[in-house]
Amino acid sequence: MAIPHALRQHELVHAGEGTGVWSWVTTVDHKRIGILYGVTAFAFLVIGGIEALIIRLQLARPHGAVVGAETFNALFTMHGTTMVFLAIMPLNAAFFNYMIPLMIGARDVAFPRLNALSYWILLLGGLFLNASFLVGAPPNGGWFGYANLTTRQFSPGPEIDFWMLSLQILGASSIMAAVNFIVTILNMRAPGMTLMRMPLFVWMSLVVQFLIVLAFPPITVGLIFLMFDRFFGTHFYDVAAGGDLHLWQHLFWIFGHPEVYILILPAFGIVSEVLPTFSRKPLFGGQVMIYSGVLIGFFGFGVWSHHMFAAGMGPVADAFFAISTMLIAIPTGVKIFNWLATMWGGTIRATVPFHYAAGLVALFTIGGLSGVMHASPPVDLQQTDTYFVVAHFHYVLIGGSLFGILAGASYWWPKMTGRLLDERLGRLGFWVLFAGFNLTFFPQHYLGAIGMPRRIYTYAAGTGWGFWNFWSTVGAFGIAFGVFLFAVNALLSLRRGPPAGADPWDGRTLEWRTSSPPPPHDFDEIPPVYSRDSFWREKYGDSRGRKPTPRPAAPDPHGIHMPAPSHWPIVIALGIVVAAVGALTSLALVLIGAAVLVGGSFAFALEHHRNPAHVRQEGGLGVDHRKLAMWVFLGSECFLFGTLIATYMAYKGRSVVGPHPHEILNLPITTLSTFDLLMSSLLMVLALAAVRRGDRFQSRLWLAGTAFFGLIFLGFQAYEFTSFVHEGLTLQTNLFGSTFFVLTGFHGGHVTLGVIWLLTLLGLDLRGRLGTPDAVKVEVAGLYWHFVDVVWIVIFTLVYLIP
Amino acid sequence: MNLVPSGTLVVRVALAALVLLVGGCAWDGPMSTVVPGSDFARATLWLYALITWITAVIGLLVFVVLLWILVRFRARPEAPLPAQIRGHTLMEIAWTIVPALVLLVIAVPTIQLTFRTQGVAAPRDALRVTVRGWQWWWEFRYPDLDVVTANELHLPVGRAVVLDLEGPDVIHSFWVPRLGGKRDVVPGRHNRIVLTPERPGEHWGQCAEFCGASHANMGLRVIVQASAEFDAWVARQKAAPAEPAGLAAEGKAIFARSACVGCHTIAGVSGGVLGPNLSHFGGRTMLAAGMWPNTPDNVAAWVRDPQRLKPGVKMPDLGLTDEQAKAVAAYLTGLK
Repeated sequence: MAIPHALRQHELVHAGEGTGVWSWVTTVDHKRIGILYGVTAFAFLVIGGIEALIIRLQLARPHGAVVGAETFNALFTMHGTTMVFLAIMPLNAAFFNYMIPLMIGARDVAFPRLNALSYWILLLGGLFLNASFLVGAPPNGGWFGYANLTTRQFSPGPEIDFWMLSLQILGASSIMAAVNFIVTILNMRAPGMTLMRMPLFVWMSLVVQFLIVLAFPPITVGLIFLMFDRFFGTHFYDVAAGGDLHLWQHLFWIFGHPEVYILILPAFGIVSEVLPTFSRKPLFGGQVMIYSGVLIGFFGFGVWSHHMFAAGMGPVADAFFAISTMLIAIPTGVKIFNWLATMWGGTIRATVPFHYAAGLVALFTIGGLSGVMHASPPVDLQQTDTYFVVAHFHYVLIGGSLFGILAGASYWWPKMTGRLLDERLGRLGFWVLFAGFNLTFFPQHYLGAIGMPRRIYTYAAGTGWGFWNFWSTVGAFGIAFGVFLFAVNALLSLRRGPPAGADPWDGRTLEWRTSSPPPPHDFDEIPPVYSRDSFWREKYGDSRGRKPTPRPAAPDPHGIHMPAPSHWPIVIALGIVVAAVGALTSLALVLIGAAVLVGGSFAFALEHHRNPAHVRQEGGLGVDHRKLAMWVFLGSECFLFGTLIATYMAYKGRSVVGPHPHEILNLPITTLSTFDLLMSSLLMVLALAAVRRGDRFQSRLWLAGTAFFGLIFLGFQAYEFTSFVHEGLTLQTNLFGSTFFVLTGFHGGHVTLGVIWLLTLLGLDLRGRLGTPDAVKVEVAGLYWHFVDVVWIVIFTLVYLIP
Repeated sequence: MNLVPSGTLVVRVALAALVLLVGGCAWDGPMSTVVPGSDFARATLWLYALITWITAVIGLLVFVVLLWILVRFRARPEAPLPAQIRGHTLMEIAWTIVPALVLLVIAVPTIQLTFRTQGVAAPRDALRVTVRGWQWWWEFRYPDLDVVTANELHLPVGRAVVLDLEGPDVIHSFWVPRLGGKRDVVPGRHNRIVLTPERPGEHWGQCAEFCGASHANMGLRVIVQASAEFDAWVARQKAAPAEPAGLAAEGKAIFARSACVGCHTIAGVSGGVLGPNLSHFGGRTMLAAGMWPNTPDNVAAWVRDPQRLKPGVKMPDLGLTDEQAKAVAAYLTGLK
């Protein structure tokens, strides 16, 4: 079953593909970026693990004296934040990066430089967060950072600033990466790779990207409110000014619960690849597995308040979220049963990846079932914020996510490195980890049941919690040793592992159809796709042994074009982090960082403007990558503005002092500016049509006109803001001031960005660099512009028109 | 000790495991969620147990099937390619519907209990207590009895009590596991717990929502008493504290002229409201929200050095000498 053409040693070596440090800094190769993600995330996993070990040492005995209260609070805050945002998410991203293009038969992701940008922002954001240790101010408000404890009044130091700035930075990285992968998966599939033929891992990844795009905006808005409260004296989380402390909890958990599925669904995808491969059977109920994953993601947005059963939302809300949470158990159960049925009747090769996958099935079952227990509000009131919940989500996040990641890492290791891992050492590592994990976390169910709360650095001997806390600590070192063995195995394999060959596991999916490691361009010829598990079918035929008639490879009319390396991603990321450091130290640094960010973004955007290979970026859906990306981004923006507007509405009438909206809003002026903005959309349409026709005069005229109308709108807004300040309404005056200025200010910021974008296009046009083939660039800008206008209509209606 | 003179390794390991299980698993700790001491806790435990058993049975079934698969279908040498089965619609429908039915069994009593423990109006003769969670101690006000105390809540057995939760600073969560589930103390919002203690005794509680540096040091005790004992306690609280003599009188003088009076109330001496009411401090069993037994030595150490002993505590160091601290401790612990 040799696939000679796919394994042929390639001769194409891209000019930028070197081995030095600079080649890694500037790389845009999805495989290299995947490796960067993996190595970075593993390092953060070790840091978060060390934090966990100190936590466990402190709790091993009553009245522990390893660390003090403040250090302990910082440790569990950083452990949670690190493991979620800097370990599990980027470990998953490592697989998205490396594997998704290979599994769908693509040569790279849709936006290779954006991909690099996501990585560099993640790395520098993670370093910024951990730099808080170096200045002795690690965040200490919990990974969930409940306001009002996190406001300046109760947390005056820079600790929370580090936390909220890093989370915003990391969120930006995640959203960019998610847009990129959605476009990649939808648009760059090889011919024949229909959606329903995609491997389960790609499907679950796709669901995860949508969850990221839609779930991150609410927490971003929540963090922006917190930032404004802390830096500029607004009142979003100020009870005395009428603020409602449930606001943060809702915004956090609207993000926080989908985040659980962001962390676990990739693992489900990996297991759905590993179990069939090593059972030598197709995935049982493949379509149902897809639907159940989509359903889990969908339901994931309707269950967030089960984190708030103790917060006092009332029995109706409690009952609703209890039912929706229980519903999620159904598609999750279907997954477990289908995995069992996949193995049933197979011929199981108990390799290391199979061990981890089967381990996930067992351990996630425990975590899922305990999840059903606290779906019941009365029961949850006895369990939430106790070690029972700690046990529950570690069964989900270690037993589920981490075991899935280790299954994936040992499964794809030969593909990524070209070398095999040692099976005996790998199995030893698995059993050490499995035993250590269960010893650590199973007793924590019991500790929770006898009342041990979370986030306590000390406890009295009379509680009866000492005994199992001790053994839990012993188990934690078992986990550490298990991870250590994995790392040793990996290093040994790199040094002297036997060569893997292209297809060491007798795999089913396309990544096994190219060499290990794959060439920079992934496939010499884009592989044909005949069915689900297409590669398996090429090797073994269908149920009656019929092999597909070989189809000629899809032509590469322009040859293999690989993106050139770029140093602008790291420049932009540096600008962002310099600005963040400035936010904690000096305004000058903020301005320098912003300048680097803006300059870098321009350079990034114009880098390949004249490259003819970039003119058309159409994919399987017949839609340009950039257009699709804009649509996805606007979906994310809907949630951003939706959250801002919802907060404005929720806080309406809650201000304890004036001025109130009806006393101050100037309807005639705003009606005029609204009309102006609507007219600008008309000009935008004309501009696009002119560029398409190649009518230079009109395209310049209308582009300039659109930007000019945008500027007029901004002028109106500046006038409005100034007159409000004059009449005594500022950000700090009351809740109305806080919500009004932040909402309309954010919209104004979007208009400003749009004006800059339009002026840039105008500049290109004036220099004769905006030809008919570039119309898509204007179209994408137009989509953004129209969206911003539509948002204004909503704001105008809800804020100005409805009394 | 030579319990296992000639045991094999397996026997030793098994025995050790047994000792661990037996030694480790006492269920009646002072904060146990499975030893109910109120109607609320009892109803919760019933549902808790129902769901636990259902999920345990499901879990065991999955494990048995998984183990069977792992043993039975392990590849043997020269095993032929297994049948490439892609699914079975009927089975997949079955394992969608059956869990849904099981969830229904859980959901119905869940919804019933959710409404029963939250929606109901409190009985008219219920004892009302306002609970205020402060960083990092508890204040209890009995508005109908005109009693204010801290960190130790006295309740009569068999009488319904309404706990109104008020938050003057950050979010806390009031939780006494043996009396039932927790409820957050959210500044600006009104939450409450209604329950009837059913068992006299001392129940431990603790703040369950992370609330800053000394979150771990925000314990409380609930002393459930027979009705007559409770009435006697109330009478003691309403009486003026006994006039101190000797060292304690000296302590009173120090207390009255130092910063103490800015935050603490002692009936007839001071009227501060930012710290715990100390009028009958000597009658409490624990000090500093459950941190140490309330002995003169502990109190002396505490007033001498509160900043070191309780991380983040709002009580400033008062600059007392050891002798002064002892005098203050003698005074305070004498306030029965």
